[in-house]
This record gives sequence, structure tokens and C-alpha cells, in this order.
Amino acid sequence: MNFRKVGVVFRKELLEVLRDKRTLFATLILPVLLYPLLIVGFNSIMTRQTEVLQEQGATIAVMDSTNNDVSRKLVADMSRIENYTFVPYSASTAKLYDEKDIQAVVSIRDSVGIDGTQFYKVYIQYDKSKDKGRIVFDKLKSSISETEKGIQKAQLAKSGMNPEFMELVSVRERDTSTAQKKMGMLLGMFLPYIMIIMLLTGASTVAADLVAGEKERRTLETLLVSSAARQELVFGKYLTIITLAMVNVIVNLFSISFSLKFMLANAAADMSGVQMPISAIIILLAAMIPLATFFAALLLSISTFSRNMKEARTYEQPILWVAMMMAMISFLPAVEMNNLMALIPVVNIALLFKAVMINEYAVSHLLITIGSTLLLDVLAVWATIKLFTTESVLFRSEDDGGSIKAVHQNKRNFFNPYYGLVYFSIALIVMYYLGSYWQIKDLMAGLQKTQLLIIALPVWIILRVLKLKEKDILRLKAPKIKEALLIPFIAIPAAVIVSIVSQLINLVFPFPPKYIEVMSKLFTMDASLFKVFIVMSVLPGFCEEYMFRGFMMRFFEKYGDRMAVLISALLFAAFHLDPFRFLPVFLLGLLLGYLTIRSGSIVNSMLSHTINNGMALVIVTYGDTSWLKPFISSSESLRFWLLLPAAAILFAALYLFHKVTS
Amino acid sequence: MINVMNLSKEFPKKDGTVFKAVDDISFEARDAEIVCLLGVNGAGKTTTMRILSTVFKPTSGTAEIQGFNILSQAQQVRENLGFLTGDTGLYNRLRGSEFIRYFGRLYSVPEKTIDERIKEMADLLDMHDFLDKKIEFMSTGMKQKVSIVRSIIHDPPVMIFDEPTSGLDILTARNIVSFIRQCKQRGKCVLFSTHIMREAERLADRVVMIHKGKVLANGSLEELRQQSNQTDLDDIFVHFVNQFTDEAEVLAHEF
Repeated sequence: MNFRKVGVVFRKELLEVLRDKRTLFATLILPVLLYPLLIVGFNSIMTRQTEVLQEQGATIAVMDSTNNDVSRKLVADMSRIENYTFVPYSASTAKLYDEKDIQAVVSIRDSVGIDGTQFYKVYIQYDKSKDKGRIVFDKLKSSISETEKGIQKAQLAKSGMNPEFMELVSVRERDTSTAQKKMGMLLGMFLPYIMIIMLLTGASTVAADLVAGEKERRTLETLLVSSAARQELVFGKYLTIITLAMVNVIVNLFSISFSLKFMLANAAADMSGVQMPISAIIILLAAMIPLATFFAALLLSISTFSRNMKEARTYEQPILWVAMMMAMISFLPAVEMNNLMALIPVVNIALLFKAVMINEYAVSHLLITIGSTLLLDVLAVWATIKLFTTESVLFRSEDDGGSIKAVHQNKRNFFNPYYGLVYFSIALIVMYYLGSYWQIKDLMAGLQKTQLLIIALPVWIILRVLKLKEKDILRLKAPKIKEALLIPFIAIPAAVIVSIVSQLINLVFPFPPKYIEVMSKLFTMDASLFKVFIVMSVLPGFCEEYMFRGFMMRFFEKYGDRMAVLISALLFAAFHLDPFRFLPVFLLGLLLGYLTIRSGSIVNSMLSHTINNGMALVIVTYGDTSWLKPFISSSESLRFWLLLPAAAILFAALYLFHKVTS
Repeated sequence: MINVMNLSKEFPKKDGTVFKAVDDISFEARDAEIVCLLGVNGAGKTTTMRILSTVFKPTSGTAEIQGFNILSQAQQVRENLGFLTGDTGLYNRLRGSEFIRYFGRLYSVPEKTIDERIKEMADLLDMHDFLDKKIEFMSTGMKQKVSIVRSIIHDPPVMIFDEPTSGLDILTARNIVSFIRQCKQRGKCVLFSTHIMREAERLADRVVMIHKGKVLANGSLEELRQQSNQTDLDDIFVHFVNQFTDEAEVLAHEF
């Protein structure tokens, strides 16, 4: 690679960006304006608003059904609250309260204890959802307890005791956190979120323009025929996005620390001296650079794939959403950085940010965060270069293979990735709402209905409507005897491996107890073992294969068999709506996809799926029985040593399967 | 020197079949020669040129530019080739001179040489007035001139122009045509495409007629006249197309 040419591309792109006022505004001017507004403006508005509410008057209706010295004193003391008007309770009070002309209704009643002491109960009716309601309540309550204390003190004095006895215990708090740290906590919560979004928007403003824009303006071809190599072009553009994203981050950080140091200190006295330490800024920059490069590569690959800028923007949206969701982790209490979290992109930066802001972070987390993000980055850059050398991507024409017209011409055109994803999304939504509704009502019947009506039936109907042969499309034909005989030797060890993978995930990322409870409920239903076997093994084995390996996989065969298996396995894993089982289900999906494509018969994967689910049932049901004891340690988990023999058997069986099917 | 050998290019169609955009084409263009690819819209001219410029990979067959193979020596091919694409876009936010300089640098042309060549070609194409204008404010003709200079800023021995005068006013078109002639005089091998018979007649030493991805005829104007017994190039073209297919289909096309 010629770095001079990379530099030429980079300089030209920057020049173009600098001449584009919109980009300049989004990356430079917006953040400079945003933080002072956000931090200082918000802060002063908050304090101002609270003051206003505090000083605001209120009207309170009082009903004193006791009407003795004590109750009258209570009312008299309350009446001394500034700007509050007290009116006696009347027939119109309820109406006035509804119309918000009265903010609270106070009613005093009394009762007599066993020893004859008179007790008072003050009922305060107010609207807790209103700031004003809460303030009125607080003021009334503190007035009442003041009065109570006064009366108690008088009583004590009367009976010859020291009135100070009322102050026997008093709580004094000493907060060891500094204003710096408090600010750090606050900033650690919302800053990572804002910064990640800023980074992404900063990158996306240029990314769409850099390749999809060139396609749209028809300049890409001239660039491709120049003697610059493809990777030189990619790197030049990639550096441009990184630069813009990082400039955005730096401007943001500068603007934040400036706002903190000067403006916040002026606005609130206890915040003076609060600032972001240089070390924090440097660490955050170091952690943000890999994220910027990753986003840059990701967005560049989207831009390269898209036909025009509009399409690129559309594809950018989901990424933006997912990143936003992941960045929101900093708002969650009790989620703390650990080695596993440090592996998850975006989430790791958000948590690291939070830890750095309160100056409690581990260097190892910083390193894992940077390392894992860089790894993803390399992958994304590789993908972009790959796309940049793919003719069909660079010159993607209007692809109306997904149009209704095309489907009319040839029914098989229905099987394109677009319809595949649409179908999957609809099925997922229906399963999420209708399926879980059915299952909550009656687990056993719900599971059956989900499998038959949501997973299998729609596929059956679509094939009928399109007049497509189920046998051909779904590969619904009998396997060779040899293949079918091999299936148990594939399915059983595979189930063991998948189960152990599950346990390993549990080790680093423990399942919540609630989750285990729900899962075990599935296998210990109040039904005969045979019925549970049908519902938990046979039905999913048939229906899920019918949909995923039979139907879904067809949509992606355009990309080749391997991609079809991979994508259908990903969708299969996503369909289970269970982050803990994603990896095991995905692995299983890969195996089942392979079995189907390789043998041309879906019956093989149905058999395999049934055996796999059956295995789980056997382990749960017979886990305590003596013959299974050697394989199972406590609480239904398999022993790890099983991994080796299982892998050996699996690979031997797969090897034979491969031979038999060739 | 361009040498095209049995070049074919297929694109997958939506219904699963393939569309043969270029079907077993062979021809050559020598140094100091202007060869015209003549054909109606959709005949396969642009696809052929895109293959020669290494943007597309052929389905079968191959070609050489200045002795370099388009498949195995793509980098050298690009260094020795100036390619003006059909509906070229330009970077609107750059000035004309900046745009040309950008490509000069991508071709690793020394700064001083870039300056000299910009001046030289601006003289020939009469473009000093607008060279430093932002491209977004330029007219179609101005843009086309900038594009031409951009495509040959590295002074390549082989030049391919895809419809260089389409959509231009007469004066600009003449200016460009005479520029192409000068390129030939300086020993360049020029391949240009057009669907305008007049232009082919005026410029080309040799005409390669293509239709539906196939070569209909290949020769100097004189040779083609003799082969077809026609004098007018329009008639010559129709003659060869008739040989290839029935007339009804030809009339359906618009020239």
C-alpha cells in the first residue's frame, strides 16, 4: 500500500468536508453550544424551578373533626406556612380538588389508646405525581412533626423531665465523596451516552457521503480507474471518518470540561473546583479512538454496500439504535465493569467511561476494551476492502428481485433476503406477543399452539398460496438410511457439547435465578413424560426445522450455501429471544443447517433437533437416577470431561456423514 | 495499443438467467490510431470499456492494454490508461484545478508535471477562464473538459473515451473532437464510443460496429463501404445490423 496515495485521498476528502457547512456545524459548532446549554442551562433551570415551586402558594382544605387543643394547634401551626391558604372543608372541596384549585386536603382524627392516651391521625390527600403536590406534602408534614415535637416537649417539661430528651438521638451525615466525585457519577451516567452518540453521528455525517455519495454522484468509477489501489482508497476514506469522529469527540470533551470548570462553578457554589482531570480525558480519548475506528469501518462498509446516500442512511439507522441502546447501559444502576462486559463493544466504553469518571477503573478492563474493539475494527475494515473489490456491490443496480412483480413472474423470486427478513420479523413479533400470551395462559397448550400455529402453519399456507412444491422447497424428502442412522451419533454428542457451552456461559455470565426457575418449569410440567416429550422435543424438532432449515434458509441461498446456513442459524438463535442461549442455539443452528444442505433432506435435521431437545429432557428427568450419575454433576449440569469424547464422536460421525452424502 | 481477445461479460438477471452484455468480442486498436466503437444504446460499448479499464472483470476472454493483461496486471493497465467514463460525475465542492490535481496525485504524477500538463491542456481545450471555478458552478461543457483533462493527466499511451461529446453544444464538441485528433497525432492509441454516426465518420480511422454484444463489422470506413455497398455510415450500419437480425428490431431502437 502506498501511504502517499492514502494521504492524497485523505486530504481531498477533508478539504471537501471543510467546504461543507452542514458537516462543520454538526461536528464543531453543535457540541460547543450543546454542553454549556446542557450542563449550565439545565442546572440553573432546575434550581430556579424548584425555588419557584417552593415559593409558590397553595390552597389547602382542612377538616378538623377532633377540634381540641392539639388539633387546633396543628392547624394553627400549618397556617403559618408562607403563602399557604387554609380553607375549611366543605361540600365543594372535592370538586375544587379535582379542578386543582385545592392542592391538598388535610383531615385530623383521633383515637384513644388502651391506657387512655389520645392519638392523632392526620390524613393528607395530595397528588404525588405533581412536583407541587410533593412540595405541599413535605411542607405540611414537617410543620406537623414540628408541632408534635413542641407538644411532646411541653408534656415532658410538665412531668418534670428534660425537654431535650426529645433530641436523644440525632443523625448527622458526613459524606466522604467530594463534589468532584458526585459530579463524576452524574457525568459518568449521561456522558458516555452522549459521547457515543456524538461519535456515531459525527462519523455517519461523512461516511454516507464518502462511498454511497460517490456512487450517487457517479464519481466512484473515475476513482476506481485511477491507479490508486482499492485499499488505498478505503484507507483514505476510513481515516477521514476517524478524523471527523475524533475531532467531534475532542471538541465534545473540551466543551464538557470547559463548561464544568468555569460555567458550572459560577452557577453553583459547591461545584467550584469541579473539573475533569487531565488523566481522565486522556484515558477516555485512548478508549474512544478504537471505538471511533470501529464505527468508521462499520459505517464505511455500509456506505460501500449502499446504492445511494438515502439507502446508506437507512442502513445506518439500526446501527445507531443498537449503539444507543447499548450506550444506555451507563444509566443502569448496579451494572459494573468486568472482564466479560469489557468484551462487548459500546457497552465496554460506556462502563469504562463511568468508572473513569469516578476514578475507579482497572487497567485490565481498559486494555480488554481497546483490544476487543480493535479486533472488531480489523474485521470491519477487512469487510469494507472486500466489498470495495466486489463488482456486483460497487455497481449494484436497482434490484427489484424483491418486487411483487418479480414474484409474479417467477414464484421462486419470493425467496430473496428482503422477504426473508420481513417474514422473520413478522413471525418474531407474533411469537413474542401471541405466543407468550398463550403460554402464560396455559404453558402446555401454549407451547403446542406456538409451534403449530405460529411457526409451522404460516409456512405451509404461504407455500400453498404461491403454489410451490413443499417437497422441493423445504427439502421434505426421506433421507438415505445410512444418513439417518448416523444422526443419533451426531445429535447426542452435539447436544452434550452445546449443553457444556451453555454451562461455560453460565460460569462467566451467571443466569439469574428467575431465569433458571422459568427454564426448569418447562421440563417439569404437570403432564405425562410422553406428552412432555412430544411438546418439548418432537414438535420443535418438526416445526422449527420446517420453518428455519426448510423455509428461512431458502431466502439466503442467493449468497451461497455457507451464508444461508450462517444467516438462518443467526435468525434461529435470535428467534429464541434469549441472550443466555444465543450462542448454544446458534451453534445448533449451524449444525442443523449443515445437515439439511449437505444431505438435501430436512428429515435429518428434524431428527437431530428432536434428539437434541430430548437429551435435555432426559437429563432433567433422570438426572438423579444412578445410571446417569457418572455423567452429571450436581444440579443437572454435565461433567466437563464429556466434552472430549463427545467432540471425538461428533467429528467422526460428521466425517462419515460427509462421506455418505458426497 | 489495445488488444481485445474473445471478451464476454454476463450479468445475472432477476429471473435467474444471464444477460450477455458483451458476447465474444475481439478487436484491436494500434498506437496513433483512433478506433470508434459504434453501436446503439445498450449495444455493449460501455461494458466493453469498463472491462478494459479493469472496473469490471470479464466472464471469459481477456484483453491487453499496452501489453499489460487486464486481469493479471490491472495496476499497470490503469497506469497506462486514461478512461473517460460516460456520465462522469465530479466533486462539486472542489475547484476544477483541484479536481484535476487530485487525480494527478493519485496517479503519482509529480506536482510540477501536473502544473505543466494542466496549462498545456487548458490551452488546447480553451479552459483557462473556468479552471479555478468551483465545479458546482460549471456548465456541462466545462465539466466535460475538466473530466477529459482529469482522465489523461498522467499522459497515458492509451485513451478510452466513452461518448465524449454526448450532450454538448457544437462548439465544445468540435473543440473536443479536434483535441482527440491531436492526441492521435502525438502517437496515442484512442478508443472512443459513440452512437452518433457523423462523429465516427469524422474522427475514426477504424470503426468497430457492435450490436447486442457482438461485433458486426470491423474495418476502416473505406473497407466498410466496400463490404456493404453503401456510402453513408448510417446506411452502412443499418446494412450490417440487417445482416445480423431482422429490420423490425432495428427500427425499434432510437439512434
